[in-house]
Formats: sequence, C-alpha cells, structure tokens
Amino acid sequence: MNFANMTDYHHFPIYAIMVLFLGAFIIAASGGKPSKNPNNPAGFRAWIALIATAASLCFLAALIKPVMLDGEVIAYWMGSRGISGGYAIGIALEVDALSLFFALLIATAVFVSAIYSIRYMVHDDCVPQYYVLYCLLAGGVLGLVLSGDIFNMFVMVEILTFAAVALTAFRTKVYGALEAAFKYLVVGCMGSTAILTGVILLYAQYHTLNLAQLASLIPGTMNNATKLAFAFLYIGFSTKAFIVPFHPLAADAHGAAPASISVLISGVLTKSGIYGIMRLTYFLFQTMGLGRMQFMLVFIGSVSMFVCVTMALAQHDFKRLLAYHSISQIGYVLAAVGLASALGVSAGLYHAMNHTLFKGLLFLAAGAVLHETGTTDLGKLGGLSKKMPHTTVLFLIGAFSISGVPPFNGFASKWMIYQASYQKAVDTGNIGFLLVTIIALVTSTLTLASFVKVSQSVFFGQLPKEYENVKEVPFGMRLAMGILAALCVVTGLFPKSVTALLTEPAAKAAANVGNYITSMGFKTSLPAVEVSFVEAGVWEPINWLLILCIALLGVTIVAVAGKYDHVSETTSENVETKYQLFYGGEENVYSQVGGGDLFWGFKHNWRHYFDFMHKLHSGVVNDYALWAVVALALAIVYMMIAL
Amino acid sequence: MIQFNYICSFFLIVLGFYTIVTKYNLVKTVIGMSIMDYGVNLLIISIGYNPGGTAPIFTAGELTRASYFVDPIPQALTLTSIVIGACVTAMSMSLVIRMHETYGTLDTREIRRLRG
Amino acid sequence: MTASIFLNGLQYLGYILIFPGFLFCFLCGMLLTGIDRKLVARMQKRVGPPILQPFYDFFKLCGKETIVPAAASRTTFLMAPLVGLAALVVIQLFIPIRGFSAFSGMADIIVILYLLLIPALAAILGAAASGSPYAGVGLSREMVTIIACELPLVLVLLAIARTVGSAMGTGLCFSLSEIARYQVENGSLITKLSMIPAAVAFAMVIPGETGSHPFDTAEAETEICEGMHAEYSGAPLAVFKLSHAVKVLTMTSLFVALFFGGVGTGITAVDGVIVFALCVAATALFISFVHAVTARLKIEQVFKYYWTVVSGLALVSLVLAWYGL
Repeated sequence: MNFANMTDYHHFPIYAIMVLFLGAFIIAASGGKPSKNPNNPAGFRAWIALIATAASLCFLAALIKPVMLDGEVIAYWMGSRGISGGYAIGIALEVDALSLFFALLIATAVFVSAIYSIRYMVHDDCVPQYYVLYCLLAGGVLGLVLSGDIFNMFVMVEILTFAAVALTAFRTKVYGALEAAFKYLVVGCMGSTAILTGVILLYAQYHTLNLAQLASLIPGTMNNATKLAFAFLYIGFSTKAFIVPFHPLAADAHGAAPASISVLISGVLTKSGIYGIMRLTYFLFQTMGLGRMQFMLVFIGSVSMFVCVTMALAQHDFKRLLAYHSISQIGYVLAAVGLASALGVSAGLYHAMNHTLFKGLLFLAAGAVLHETGTTDLGKLGGLSKKMPHTTVLFLIGAFSISGVPPFNGFASKWMIYQASYQKAVDTGNIGFLLVTIIALVTSTLTLASFVKVSQSVFFGQLPKEYENVKEVPFGMRLAMGILAALCVVTGLFPKSVTALLTEPAAKAAANVGNYITSMGFKTSLPAVEVSFVEAGVWEPINWLLILCIALLGVTIVAVAGKYDHVSETTSENVETKYQLFYGGEENVYSQVGGGDLFWGFKHNWRHYFDFMHKLHSGVVNDYALWAVVALALAIVYMMIAL
Repeated sequence: MIQFNYICSFFLIVLGFYTIVTKYNLVKTVIGMSIMDYGVNLLIISIGYNPGGTAPIFTAGELTRASYFVDPIPQALTLTSIVIGACVTAMSMSLVIRMHETYGTLDTREIRRLRG
Repeated sequence: MTASIFLNGLQYLGYILIFPGFLFCFLCGMLLTGIDRKLVARMQKRVGPPILQPFYDFFKLCGKETIVPAAASRTTFLMAPLVGLAALVVIQLFIPIRGFSAFSGMADIIVILYLLLIPALAAILGAAASGSPYAGVGLSREMVTIIACELPLVLVLLAIARTVGSAMGTGLCFSLSEIARYQVENGSLITKLSMIPAAVAFAMVIPGETGSHPFDTAEAETEICEGMHAEYSGAPLAVFKLSHAVKVLTMTSLFVALFFGGVGTGITAVDGVIVFALCVAATALFISFVHAVTARLKIEQVFKYYWTVVSGLALVSLVLAWYGL
C-alpha cells in the first residue's frame, strides 16, 4: 500500500472510526493508574482522547467538500471484498450526505466534550477508565452512522449502549446513578434485542445485511415478516433516541451521568436513534411516502415535544430538567423529519444540529455549576451570576437558543419547522399538521418558561450563604462552552449558509434513495429526484441584528450621556439601607423564590395533568419495561395495518 | 419442523419480556434479559439452518455449486450476539451488586429514587 | 456611488432614530399612555393627570438617583431595560404604516411574535438580576402571562397567514408586507367574516401583552409592589416606563396593521397620523375602557381566560379561515 493511496479521502470514514477505537485501546493498554498531577489525573490519556477526537473530526471535515458539495456517496468495502454474485459479501461503510451530517455533529460534540472533560473530571477517581469508555462511546456512535451494514449498526448500538450505561453509572456515589444505569441497561437491552430481531428477520427474507442492497430489495416486496422486522427495528432505534415512551430513561441517565457524558447522551446518542429511524423509513423501507407513516412519526414527535416540556417544567433538578428538554427538542426533530417534505427534513436536520450545540452548552453549564457548588438542585442554588459571570452569559446563550429567541440558532430551525408543518398542512389539506405547528409554537414558549425558571433559581436571585466563596470555572471548561456558544450564534445568524452547506445536501440525500443504492453497486429503478426548498416566511437575522445594534448603541449612548448609572453600588457587609432589597418593611432575610414555586398560575390550571404524569413516571423499572413492551406491540399492530 | 424453532424462539423472547415486566427482583430481571437473548440466538441459528446441510467449512477447491450447507453468516452473528449477551449479564449483575450495597434491597419497587 | 450609499445609510439611520423609530415611538407611545390615563380617570369620574404627564414622569425619573441593590447582578440589572427598549423599537420598524414600511422583507409575523418575547425576556432577566423576592413573584407571573397570551396570538397569526395566503394563491403567507398589500387590494382584513373572531381575540390579547388591567398581575402594585420593577429606580425605571409606552404603541399598531390596513394616502406623514388615530381608538377601547371597568384577576384566572375564551375565539377564526370563509 503506498502513501498516496492511504491519503485518498475514500479511506477517511474508516480512519475517523478507527482513531477513536485505537485511542480507547491505547488508553486501556496504558493501565489504570492515575497520574500524580492533581489538575489532570488522567495524565497523557486525556490528551490521547483529545487528539483522537480531534483527528476524527478533521477526517470528517475533509469529507465536506466531496460529499456535501459535490454530492458524492462514498462506498467503502472493508478489505476490498465487495459484491459477488449480486450479493454483498463484504462489510461496507457507506457515507452519503445524511451520514456525514450526523457524523460531523457527533464528532464536534465529542471533541468539545473532550476538551471540557480534562478539567471537569479532576475530582473523580478511575479517570483513565473514563477515557476508555469515552472513546468507545464516540467510536460506537460514529460507526453507527457511517456503517453501510445493518448488522454492524446493531454491533455499534451495543457498543454505545454499553459505554453509555457504564458512564452513567460512572459516579457511583451520585444520587441514583446506579439506578439510572440499570434502568437504562434493561430498557436499552430490550431495544437492542429488538434491533437484532429485526435485522435477523430481514436477513431471513433477503439474505443480505447490506443497507443499500436491502433498500433495493425491500420496497415492493413487503410481507408480514418485513413489517414485523420494521416494527422491531423502529422500536429499537426509538429506545436509542429516547422518544416517547422511553423518555424517563433519558431523564434518569442524563441526570446521573457526568456533564461531559450528558452532552454525549443527549447530543449524540439521541441523534444516532434519529439517524436510525431516518435510515429505516427513508432508505430501507421507503415508507415515508405513506400518509400513515408520516402520521406516526409526526404524532410521536409532537407527543414527545409536548409531554417532555411539561415534564421539564415540573422538575427541580437542573440536569433532569435539561434531560427532559432534550427529548422535547428531539420531538421537534422527529416531527419535522416525519413531514417528509424537503423543507421539513432540512428543518429537522437543522434543528438536530442546533440541539447538539445548545444542549451541549447547557449541559456543560450545568456541569460547571455542579463542579463549583456540588449540587444541581434548583431549590438550593441562586445568585451565581455574581460569582460565575462567564458561565452565566454562556448559559443564557444556550437558554435563548433552545427557547427559540431570535437571533440564536434555535429560532432559525424552529422557524423552518413551523413553516414546514404549516406548509404541509396547506398542501395536504390535513388540519392535523396545523396542530403540529401550534404545539411546536406553544412548546417553544413553555421551553422559554422553564429556562426563565433555571436562570432565576440558579444564576439570578439571591446568593445563599454557603456559596459565598464559589469561583468561576477553569479556563478549559469555559473554552469548551465558548466554542459551543459561538457555534450557536453563528448558526443562528447565517441560516442560509448553514442550510446550503449542511442540511440541504443531507435532505437531498434523504430524497434520493436511488443514488444511495447505485453508488454501492446495486440496481434500482428509483429515479433521481429534484428537490426544492421553498420557504413561506422571511427572516434576515443579520440585518435585524445590525438594526438592533444601532438602536442599542443609540440607547446606550443616550443613557450613558444621561449618567444612567452614575451611582455605584456598595458591596460591603454594612451597606446602607437604601442598597438593601425592599422587603415592605419586614426584616431583611434570605428569601429566594424557589424554582418549584414559579409559574404557579400555569401549574395550577394543569394540576390534574401534572399529578397524572407524576404518578405515571413511577421510577419502577418494571413499568418502563412494560411501556417498552406495549410500544412494541402497538408498533407491530400499527405496521401490520398501516403498511 | 423448523417452525417449532421459530415458535420456541418467540416464546422465549416473550417469556423474557414477561419476566422483566412482572418480576420485582433485580436478579430475576437480569435472568429475564438473558432469556430474551437466548430466544433471539435461537431465532438466528434457526434462520441459517438448512435441513440436511453440512457444516459450512470448505477449502476453495471443494466449494461447488452443488455444495449444500447451512448458512454460515447467522452462525457468526450468533457468536457475536452470545458475546454481547454475556457482557450484558456481567454488566447488569455488577450493577445489581452495587445497588444491593447502596439500597440494601433487590426489590425494584423500592429502588426508585429517580421518578417524576 | 459612495454618496448614494451614504445617503441610503443616512435614510435608514433616520428611520431608526426618527420615524418610525425612536422619536416617533417615544412621542406616540408616551402620548398613548397619557391619553389612556386621562381616559381611565374620566371614566372613573376623576379629573386625572394632564395628557403630557408621562413625559413629565419620564424626565423627572431620569433626574433621580439610580440605586443598584447590593444583592443585584449589576450589568444585567442595568442593561436589561436598554436591550428591551431597543428590541421594541426595532419591532416597530417592521410594522408597516399603511403602504409605508421602513424595513420590509426582513421579518414576518411569526418572527414578530418571537421578537416580542425579547423585551419581556429582558424585563424578566432584569427583575431576576435584582434578587428581590417581589421581582421573583412578578417575573413568575409575567412568564405565565406570556404563556397565556402566546396560544391565542399564535392561532390568530396562523389564521391570518391562511386567509391572506389562500387569497394570494401561495397557500399561506407570513409576510407582513404581503398582508399589507393584500389589504390594499382587497380591503381591510376585518371585513372578512373569518377574521372577526380573530380581531376580537387579538384585541383581548393587547391588555395582556401590555400588562394593563385586568391582566396586570405581574405588576400588581397593591400586592407585590410593582413586581418586576420593585428594585428599579431613576433612569432604568424611566426606560422601563418608556418601554411600556412603546409596547402599547407596538401592540395597537400591529393590531391596526393586521386588521385595519388598507389604502394609504401616499403621504407618509398623513398615513402616520391616520394610523396613530386608529391606535388611539384601539387603546381607548381595549386598554382604557377595559381598565376602567374591570378588577385585577388572579394569575391562574388570567391563564385560564386566555387559554379558554380567547383561544377559543381564535380557534373559531382559524377553522373558518381554513375552510375559506
């Protein structure tokens, strides 16, 4: 093998996966003894993980030009064993724009989280083992999205589930970590089994495991066994995406895992589930043309977004709240993808990307709070903005993004989702899709409400006595958050460029299944499809921002000239009465309005709903397993009837 | 008679589901997961079975169009699946041990600190 | 070439600073609140303050000392009112005045809906940053009011988008300038049967969005001491008062632009006066009159009212619009 051959970009996908597994191997082989440096107990292993993730990201970034811009589909046979007698006998990687899109998201999140981990994991034991699992998890997810072979997808699902469960239980002393890991393992294992069963049923029918070949064979030859396989596969990937009814697992797992892992579970694992569902519905079975299939995905997406946002409103733990929001946003993605229109898919993918960015940022901010104060209980925190100003600003950027406040990225993608769903409603004349628009809009406001709650009860309000000495987090952690925050702003300000560069090629790939099949060397009668992305509304974030800046500048100049803040505050203990808070003549005591007491007016009207939901999410693993079984049964029945 | 294998395998999978859903003992939950796994393994191996086929081991010269053997791929898949199943059991048992230390019980109804 | 860019820039700067930007917002907003206060007083058989009272209040507050509580987060506390005001003025720039619109093709009605969140959010964050428990309660109520108003507003806007879109042949239309153009061609939207419930619903949202009676639970002077503004004093408070005034103008002019649009005279100044007159009428009807005849609701009643009565009306309108009435 000569060098020129090795640098051919067709090898890059496998390199991207290999460096991560290689990193895991080297870290594991170097033994588990922590180094003596108190600022980095993992020693060089942390740097290996960082380099591996960075290399992986670079390899994938190098593919943007050929795959995204030129529209090439990279078909890569491992060991050059390809097709023989019309059947795929080798193991394949197949990278189209959709795969690459998800792979880029994953690699970015993994890289940023690795930067964060170095300083964040300082106080933990077993940090070397952490990095082994970390690289395994990253490699597993990347392998899943780049694989062209359905059994390999299953293997990667198992690797990532394993690593994720181990990392969830990693801080065994954290309240409920073991329990969360066990629940996740049980239901995740049911999901994996479902995927394996689906894979085997497909193999029994078509005697191949190659995705492209399956995609060329399945449509038109659907029988009950294929439908059964579809139901099993769908439920399997649903457990990975944590969509309803698997959302309680996400809440438990995200809450218990270290923040750097929560980023991966919410930003990366859920994406792998969404990717799996998209591969199934758009490519393998090509069922997205059916109204009933669209209905199913959109329905589940809408239910996810609404149920999880209300669950989040009722939470009093920072990370659990974020976890529920995570699934709520995944609901947006699923609903948009389920619309099966070009704009819908593009919007869904855009939102998936934004979700990785802002959710990662928020979890890292939660991790920063945990790192400094030792708790994430909303009832105990408060007033941290005076002690951690940078974290506060970064958190607010994340919070504005997820709540869809212009001009941040959450708004850009949600805005496309509203248009796509309303457009779909008008095109099909189906008032049900209109409901999706309304639910999405209302959910967005509820999301804002719960982030107001977080900012009031963590960063603003009054500072409790025990956190007087809290300091800002180390630079390494702020750097990681800063990268994500910058990406949140940039992707929000340039929606046109982002869609043109990333999401529209991916959406086109989802529409052009024929290309996916022929690139691998199989025959298909599917024609090439031209797709166009028509938007109904207008939104020019750059111009708006420009005007706002001019306006703000004007106001500020007037304000400063008018000696707006000419009186300085006093911060010493014996402050004059006039600098103390107003208590209506009562004694000045610590009186933070707790997170649980906010939005009473809303909760009171919905109290029956909240009581019901609270009882439903009982925390007993048997119940969650039962939900999984019922979901599987319903999926099977629905597929048998609908397809 | 291969249908019997299929029925059995799905029976095992459903039995596994049943065990996980109805048994409140953590160890029994783990047993349920294993049963589920065995069911799938049986299904895989049954799918690759050809009545009267030989073992799929040939040198290049021996392999002809007339060779009649069982499908080797599901066997390879089963091996993978068995390994994964063993890992799942090991991992869940280790979690069960730690949970027993922390909570002092194996009853799933009492291990529910995270809820709502 | 350079000269024309310069002139263009100057023109846009003029839009932002004078009309329909700051100066216009300042004068008209303050005038609207002044008229509102006078009207309420007259309806309650009081003499009431002079119409220019808001101006006096504003300038007097500006001269007062600004006190930042020791417990507050200084930067957020002081910046919040400014950001809120700037964001509001920018929204005003996007709302067409008859045929005239300073910046068209930049934002549409759903974007406006979201831009309206920014001033509210700024006020909330400023209140949160003050650390006062009164502000905490106030911001909680303000947020619930926002949630309450959001659903009917969304329904109204979707109904408008559908009505205009089906007439324009594009299926749906979110663009404000398109809506204005539609009204120029086909007469005001209020003349459509399906739009009447929507207009009523929007009118009911106006007092909620601007926080006036009976939906002023977030400020509720008598129980939570101005709520969100409890710790504000001096110039920042003046800016908040100004923001409130501009918000009254924004909501009423949005109402006018959406439902009472139509052919303009072609002379921007005259159009401005017409729109302002309509705004005064809307303020008198939906803010002053409602203020004078109702008592403050409890926050859970506010929420219930908006999500049942008002949303119901908007929903009726949406369904009617959907079936092309």
